[in-house]
Amino acid sequence: MPVTPETFVALIPELVALGFLVLVLLLGVFVPRSAAVPAALAALGSLAVFGSAVVLLAAGFSGEFFGGAFVVDGFALYFKLVVSASAFFTVLAAARWSGGTGDAPEYMTLILSVVAGSILLVSMRDLFGIFLAIELATIPSYAMVAFDRSRRESSEGGMKYLITGVIASSVLLYGIVLIYGVSGSAQLSEVAQAFSEGLSPVALLGLVLLVSGFAFKVSAAPFHFWTPDAYQGAPTSAAAFLSVAPKAATFAVLLRILLEGMPEAAPAWTAVMAFIAILTMFVGNLFALRQRNVRRMLAYSSVAHSGYILAAFAALQGPALSTGVQAVMIYSAAYAVMNLGAFFVIDLVGDDGKSYNGLLKTRPGIALSMGVFMAALVGLPPLSGFFGKLYVILAGAQSGSVLVYVVVGAVVVNSVLSVPYYFGIVRNMFFEEPGGGEPGVSGSGALRFSVYALAVATALFFLVMGPLAALVSGAGLV
Amino acid sequence: MITTIIVFLPLLGALLMLLLPDEERLVRYAALGVAAVPLVLVLFVYFRFGLGGNLDSSSLSQNFTWIESLGVGYRVGLDGLGFGMFFLAALLTLIAVAASWDITSNLKQYYAMLFVAEVGMLGVFAAQDLILFYIFFEITLVPMYLMVGIWGDQNRRAAAIKFFIYTFFGSTVMLAGFLAFGILAGTFSIADLGAGGGLGSVAQVAIAAPVLFGLLIKVPAVPLHSWLLDVYVSSPISTNVVLSGVLPKLGTFGIIKIALPLLPQGVEPFLPYVAALGVINIVYGAFVAFLQPDLKALVAYSSIGTLGFILLGAAAGNAVGLNGAVMQQVTHGLYSALLFILVGVIASKTGTRRIAELGGLAARMPWASGLLALGALAAMGLPGLAVFVSEFMSIMGGYEAFPVQGVLATLGIVLSAMYLLYMLARTIFGPIENPAYEEIGDAGPAALAAVVPLAALLVILGILPGLLINVQQPAVQAVVAAIGGS
Repeated sequence: MPVTPETFVALIPELVALGFLVLVLLLGVFVPRSAAVPAALAALGSLAVFGSAVVLLAAGFSGEFFGGAFVVDGFALYFKLVVSASAFFTVLAAARWSGGTGDAPEYMTLILSVVAGSILLVSMRDLFGIFLAIELATIPSYAMVAFDRSRRESSEGGMKYLITGVIASSVLLYGIVLIYGVSGSAQLSEVAQAFSEGLSPVALLGLVLLVSGFAFKVSAAPFHFWTPDAYQGAPTSAAAFLSVAPKAATFAVLLRILLEGMPEAAPAWTAVMAFIAILTMFVGNLFALRQRNVRRMLAYSSVAHSGYILAAFAALQGPALSTGVQAVMIYSAAYAVMNLGAFFVIDLVGDDGKSYNGLLKTRPGIALSMGVFMAALVGLPPLSGFFGKLYVILAGAQSGSVLVYVVVGAVVVNSVLSVPYYFGIVRNMFFEEPGGGEPGVSGSGALRFSVYALAVATALFFLVMGPLAALVSGAGLV
Repeated sequence: MITTIIVFLPLLGALLMLLLPDEERLVRYAALGVAAVPLVLVLFVYFRFGLGGNLDSSSLSQNFTWIESLGVGYRVGLDGLGFGMFFLAALLTLIAVAASWDITSNLKQYYAMLFVAEVGMLGVFAAQDLILFYIFFEITLVPMYLMVGIWGDQNRRAAAIKFFIYTFFGSTVMLAGFLAFGILAGTFSIADLGAGGGLGSVAQVAIAAPVLFGLLIKVPAVPLHSWLLDVYVSSPISTNVVLSGVLPKLGTFGIIKIALPLLPQGVEPFLPYVAALGVINIVYGAFVAFLQPDLKALVAYSSIGTLGFILLGAAAGNAVGLNGAVMQQVTHGLYSALLFILVGVIASKTGTRRIAELGGLAARMPWASGLLALGALAAMGLPGLAVFVSEFMSIMGGYEAFPVQGVLATLGIVLSAMYLLYMLARTIFGPIENPAYEEIGDAGPAALAAVVPLAALLVILGILPGLLINVQQPAVQAVVAAIGGS
C-alpha cells in the first residue's frame, strides 16, 4: 500500500475537517471564551470541506487508496457536499446558543467530528473501516444530544440515545463479523465474491444483523423508538443536524455495502427493505399525526422520511438500479434543506403548536419560510421534497416488481397521511389569531439567516434540479 | 415565448401585490390591472394565431430540457384543446378580482394567492410535458387551500383541509401513473408520447387506471365528490369563481389531453364507465340540487351535474362528443361563475342564502334577477345560449358511442330545467317574501362589471359557437385520430 501524493489529495476533505476540528478545540483552551470565534472557524471549516469536495468533483478526481479500503468517487464526494453544507447551516444556527452555554468551542468541535466521521464514512469500502467511521460520527453525536446541561431532558435523551446506539453498534459489529467469517475478508469486493456463491444461513444472519444495525442508525421502524426522545431532549441544532447529515452518510454507505458487497443477494435484501420501508413510513406518519409537540412531530416525520428513502432501496433491482441510487442521492439533498430549515424554525418559535398561532401576522417571514418547509416535507411541487419523492416513485415504477409497486402505493398513501400534521402547523400560522401559548420569537441573526437561506433553497430547488440530476446520474454507484 | 410570459406574469403580479402599500382602492385597482394583462395577451394570441388556426406556431411554444436523465423538459405550447380554458382561466381571474368585494381583510395577500393559483391554472392548459403538467396542477392547491381557509366562512378550516387531502390524494395517484408512463416510454414529452408511447395494451391499462382515478377525483365524478360541497359553500364568492370555473377542468382536461390520446388502448375498457359516471353526475347533481335549501349549495350541485356532460362527451371519443366536451369546459365555467357571483350578490343584499326566505327579488333587483335568470336558463341548456351547444354536442356524441348513457343524459336536462325553474320561481318571482327586502338595492357596479361579460359571452358563443369550435377543431380531430388509430 504505497502512500502517494495522490492519497493526500484524496484525503483533503477529511484532513481539512480534522485540521479545523483541532484548531477549534485548541482555541477553546488557549483563547478566552467567546462564541463568535469558534463558530466562525467551524463555519469556515465546513465551507472548506465543501469547497475541497467541489474541487475534487469538478476535477473528476477518483481512485482507490489504502488497498481499496478508501475510495473517492462522485458518489462519495456528493455526500461529502451534503454533509458539509448541512454542517455549515447548523454551525450558523447554533452559534449564539452554544455561546450561551459557555462551551461553544466544544460544541463546534463535536459538530466537526460528526462531519469528519460522516465524510470518511461515505468513502469507506472496508467493513471494519465502515464500523470505525460510523462510530467516529456517532460518539460525538451522543455528546451533542446531551449537551444542554440546563435541561434534564437533554441528558435523558442523550442517555437513551447512547444506550440504544451502543446496542445498535454491537448488533452491527456482530453482523460485520459474521459476514467477515463467511467471506474471509472485510473488503466489499471480496465479500461480493463470497456472497455470489449463494447465501449461507450464517451469511443471511450476518446480513440481517447488519441491516438491523443500520436500521437503528437511520431510525427505521421497528428500531426507531429512540428518535423522538433523543430529538426532543437534544439542542435543536443537534437534532436538526443529526437527522440530516450523519443519516445521509449512513444511507450512502449502506447503499455501497449492499450494491458493492452483496449484489448477488439483492432479492433477499430488497425484500427486507420493502418490508422495513412500508413499516417505517406508516409508523412515522401515524405517530406524527398524534403529536402535540412540534419537535416530536418532526422527529416522527424524520422516521417517515427514512421510510421514503428506504423505499428507494427496495427498488434497487433490475432496470431501476441506477434510478434507485439517484433517488437516495436526490432525496438526501432535498431532505437536508427542508428538514434543517424546519428544525431551525422550531429553535426560533418553540415546541408548542400554539406558539405558531397567527405567526403570519406577527412574523410573516418566518411563517412563510415554515410554510415552505412544511409544503416541501409533504412533497408538493416544485419544492425540494417533491423531487425526492419523484425519484423514489420513478425507481419503484421502473423496478417491475409487484412488491415494489406495493411500496410505491405506500409512499403515495403516506404522502397524503402526512398532510394533516404538516398543514396543522400551516393552519396555526395562517388561519389562527395570534395569542395563546408562549409568545415571542427570539434568535440570532445567523439563525434567521439560516432559516431564510434554507427556505429559498427549498423553494428554488427546481432551478438546480437540471445540473443536480446530471451530477447524480453520472456519479451513481452503478 | 409569449406563452411562457402569459403563464408566469401573474407570479410577478403576486409579488407586486405584496409590495404595495396597504391602501384598499390602490390594491383593488392594481389587482384589476395585473389580472387584465394576461387576458389581453391571450386575446392577442386568439386574434393573431387562434382564428387563423395557427396555434401550433413555433412562436407560441417553448421546449428545452430540464432533467435530461429522465427525459423531463420545460415544454409549453398552446393547442385547440387547451386554448379555450387558457382564455377562461385568465378571464375568470380578472372576474374574480372584480367580484372580490366581500374580501375586506388582508386584501393584498388574497390577490397574491389568487395570482399564484392563476400561474398553475394557466400552466396546466399550456403544459406539453407530463411532469410540468403535474407541477402546474399542484401549484393551484396551496393557494386555494389558503384562500378558503383564511377568507372563507365559519366552516372554512375543515373544508380547506378536506379539499387539500382529497385532491392531493388524487393528484399523487395520478403522478404515480404519469411516472410509470414516462419511465417506461422513455420521455415525458406529451408530443412524443402519442398513441401509448409504444407500450402494450396491458401496460397502458395499468397506467390509465391510476391516471383516470386521480383525474376523476379532481373533477369530481360523483362517488368521489364528497370534498366538494363543503369547500364550495365555505369559499368567498371570488374563490368560487375559479374553484368551480377552472379547477374541475384540470381534471377533465387531463382526460381529454392526456388519458385519451396518449393511452388510447389503456382507457378503452374504462370509457363506458366514464360515460356512465358522467350520466351519474348529471342525474345525481340535478336530484340533489333539487333538495338544497341553500341557494349556493344548489348552484354547487348544479355545477357538479353539468360537469357530467364533459365526461360523457370525452368518453364518447368521437369528433362531435369531444368538441362538445372541450367547449362545455368553457361554457360550464362561464355559467357557474355567473351564478356563484349572483348568489353572492343576493346573499349580501338580503343577508340570507336560504331559498325559502327569498322571493320576489325581481322587483327590487331587476339587473341581478335578470342575469340570474339568464344564467339559470343557460344552465338548463336553453337553445341560443352557449351551454346548449356544448351539451347538445356532448349528448349527440355520447349517444352515438353509448346509446343508453346518451338517452339517460337527456333526462338530466329535463331535471335541471325543473329545479332551476323552481329556484327562479322561489327567489326572484312571486311576492316579496320579507318586508325588509323592500329596501334593498340592485347589484352594484362592481358586481355587474363582473357578471355582464360572462352573460355576454354566454350569448355570443350561443349564437356563434364557431368562434370557439373552429379553434379547437383541428386538435379534436387529432385526438379522434389517435383513438381511432388504436
